[in-house]
Amino acid sequence: MPLSTATVLSKRIIKTVQGNARSIKGCSMADGFTPKILVLATEKCAYPGADAVGKAHLEYPSEVFILRVLSPVLFPEDFYLRAYSKGVDGIIIAACGSDCPYHGAYERLAKRIDDLTVHMKDGGLEIERIRLTAICTVCIKAFLKEIAEMEENLARLGPVNRTLAETLRQESRQRLVTSARYSLASTITTGERVAL
Amino acid sequence: MSDNSHSTGQPANEDHENIVLKDDTEYGRQHEIIKQKQAEDRERAGDPAEPKVGVYICRCGGNISDVVDVERTAQIVGMVPGVTISKVHTFMCSDPGQHMISNDILENGLDRVVVASCSPFLHEQTFRGAVSRGNLNPYLYEHVNIREQGSWAHKHDPEGATQLAIRMITAAVGRLQNAQPLDLIKLPNHRKALVIGGGIAGMKAAAELAARGILVLLVESSGRLGGQLNERGRVYPSETMASEIVADLEKQVRNNDKIDLLLNSKVTAVDGFIGNFRTVIEGPFGPAGGFDKRDALVGAIVLATGYRPYVPRDGEFLYHQDPCVVTTPEFIQMMQNMDPAAKSFEYNGRNIRSVAFLHCVGSRQLDGVHEPQPDGTLNKYCSRTCCSTILQQALALRKRFPKIQVYDFHRDIRTYGRGEEDYYINASKEGVVFFRFNGEDPPQVERTMDAKGHLPRSRKAGPITITVKDMLTWGEDLAVPVDMVVLGVGMTPSPIQDLIESIKLPTGEDHFLQEVHPKLRPVEVAVNGVLLAGTAQAPMNIQETLNAAGAAAVKAAAMFAHEMVELNPFVASVDSSLCCGEGICVTQCDYEGALQLVEKEVDGQTVQRAEVNAGLCVGCGACVPVCPHRALELNGWRLDQFESMVDGLMADIPHGDCQPELVHLG
Repeated sequence: MPLSTATVLSKRIIKTVQGNARSIKGCSMADGFTPKILVLATEKCAYPGADAVGKAHLEYPSEVFILRVLSPVLFPEDFYLRAYSKGVDGIIIAACGSDCPYHGAYERLAKRIDDLTVHMKDGGLEIERIRLTAICTVCIKAFLKEIAEMEENLARLGPVNRTLAETLRQESRQRLVTSARYSLASTITTGERVAL
Repeated sequence: MSDNSHSTGQPANEDHENIVLKDDTEYGRQHEIIKQKQAEDRERAGDPAEPKVGVYICRCGGNISDVVDVERTAQIVGMVPGVTISKVHTFMCSDPGQHMISNDILENGLDRVVVASCSPFLHEQTFRGAVSRGNLNPYLYEHVNIREQGSWAHKHDPEGATQLAIRMITAAVGRLQNAQPLDLIKLPNHRKALVIGGGIAGMKAAAELAARGILVLLVESSGRLGGQLNERGRVYPSETMASEIVADLEKQVRNNDKIDLLLNSKVTAVDGFIGNFRTVIEGPFGPAGGFDKRDALVGAIVLATGYRPYVPRDGEFLYHQDPCVVTTPEFIQMMQNMDPAAKSFEYNGRNIRSVAFLHCVGSRQLDGVHEPQPDGTLNKYCSRTCCSTILQQALALRKRFPKIQVYDFHRDIRTYGRGEEDYYINASKEGVVFFRFNGEDPPQVERTMDAKGHLPRSRKAGPITITVKDMLTWGEDLAVPVDMVVLGVGMTPSPIQDLIESIKLPTGEDHFLQEVHPKLRPVEVAVNGVLLAGTAQAPMNIQETLNAAGAAAVKAAAMFAHEMVELNPFVASVDSSLCCGEGICVTQCDYEGALQLVEKEVDGQTVQRAEVNAGLCVGCGACVPVCPHRALELNGWRLDQFESMVDGLMADIPHGDCQPELVHLG
């Protein structure tokens, strides 16, 4: 596709050309690290928030992939680690925060992401690659700020270590099975609610 | 995906009995039909290993195609495994665009459809409809947003936006490979409405519902119908007596065999969902009128909980410090109770010769100017009714006692409704004197002092002095001595915190209940089946309140037009073949009864298995990630679908001039 140079900023051109060179299939990739960011955006808050950015014709890098979710509480640890192992450099969980329409879901999510960060840290995967935040339906600035901060972090960190991520993912699966056995022993008898 | 412990693409929930409300045989019968249809759908859904996906890319009349190279996108996504058709249209949402989709499904046997266009909030439902018309299950459809989050957000990066579109579509195709046909969950609809609040809004809503043949429970916390209108005299703009309006509505409500009127009662608990709200009402139902609880199963709830007039703080404009500083409702009561033959206006031993009306008390409050409420918030909104009320009362006072001097201190005058501006014009004609102040510089109300700072001995000047920087005289500082001050108080939300918490009602910044959309869905709230009537939502006058109440009633009646309630199918489901009955998931569920362990027969043995009650499951997915066997999935949002999306996003995409072969999934 010919570049419409009149409107394209020179920086963008360089980036685009690099992008082209990098990803042409069969052509070898030279340099230029463009971080790939996955945004898990809640349907009630952050996804419309991201729409609002576009509606305001404000821009952010095109390697930001926004997936709509009902609540990110859905994802097990190994989902995030699997994404890293597939080449996602950074993940932003853009949730509803206290506006979460589901009872107790945000608290659970926060706890789960806390645990994930601990495991990433222990395993040697940079914790700046994950970010839990709340974005509202009109939080344009907050959205752009989160993207910019993640970009900045990732520029410093470089590409994700995919092999390490894969190892951590397998460990995480294993942990889930083990902790399930453990909590089975403790919960069923006491009937207590445990947070995993 | 290869390491997942279960095979993908298999229908997860073989036993759909779990969505049956056990005690409902009617539902059981209905459920058989659903099950049968699901089986047919599954048959038509084809072999997930060899899907036939149609991809449709919208130009949006240039909104998308000016940035995204849609033709190249179509060409490349056409090479994604499974995609059999990829087409571009200028307006996908137009009739021809939608026709194209339905026809392609019928003629080419597509079993999955992707549309890449605007935000899903605009047209996801549109295209689900188009897919349904092609006789394909509407949940075998995926919407890709390449406008709000594509062309508009990457206007100066056309190549990037094109790449993004290709990746997002590839991801959507991946998501669909693991998609399953879903059906709306259908549950019985209980044709009975609960109206909370027996003011004019509640009575109007109850009467309108009853007129449509719907049973109504009307619950009022006090012992009397009419609410705030019981405290009013003549009301603008018709000058009707408020009591006549109340009496008229009361006549429609009382002795109505469709309306069960519960006075002195309160709704103490609400749970459930549209068509099936379980509520508890507390009231004098016990023997000999003792207090007791009563359960009620209703299909819709109309909230007509109304407002409370703003109560000024002690000392705010001398309120509660001078007996002749009163609020508008108090003033109206005073005028109502006055001897009709009275020649002069006496109040608290004071002969009233001059009265000042003060606008915007407790409304339109500003940061740094007004003292916040106890909870730290300011009433920033306009209460909308006080201006006309004040002018109506000022005018009435002037007419009744032409010798009384009437002053009006306003920030702005907002007599916005039909017939209301006349009050302003007539008040001017009748000699009401107007002063205008700046919001940042409200008038001061103080006791009148003489030059030495003592209370004056002479009673000639009024005992209260209002000082104001008057904008009508270009900022002159004026001091006005008066005998009485009437504070034009606004509206504040009724204290209904219990209801807000038990129904999980959204409230706005102003603490009033919030509608879904101020223009398009003005009487609905985000909780399906709950409707707003009147001032529980925002300050409104009588006409607006009755309009809203009528709308809420009709909206509720429309909900009851269907025998069954349809809920979206995004609920958790359990794959019994993977479930080991450990019950960890159950501990993660905050919704009573939505996820439970039940005993089942498997291979002649009685075992425990998790079971979802689809009517109670909200689809948050909190239970999903804790299952080590991935036996739980959220229908329509399965983990393997998200994993396929990530694979699609990270796929090798052929670029530019490089001759592409196939897109390789990561």
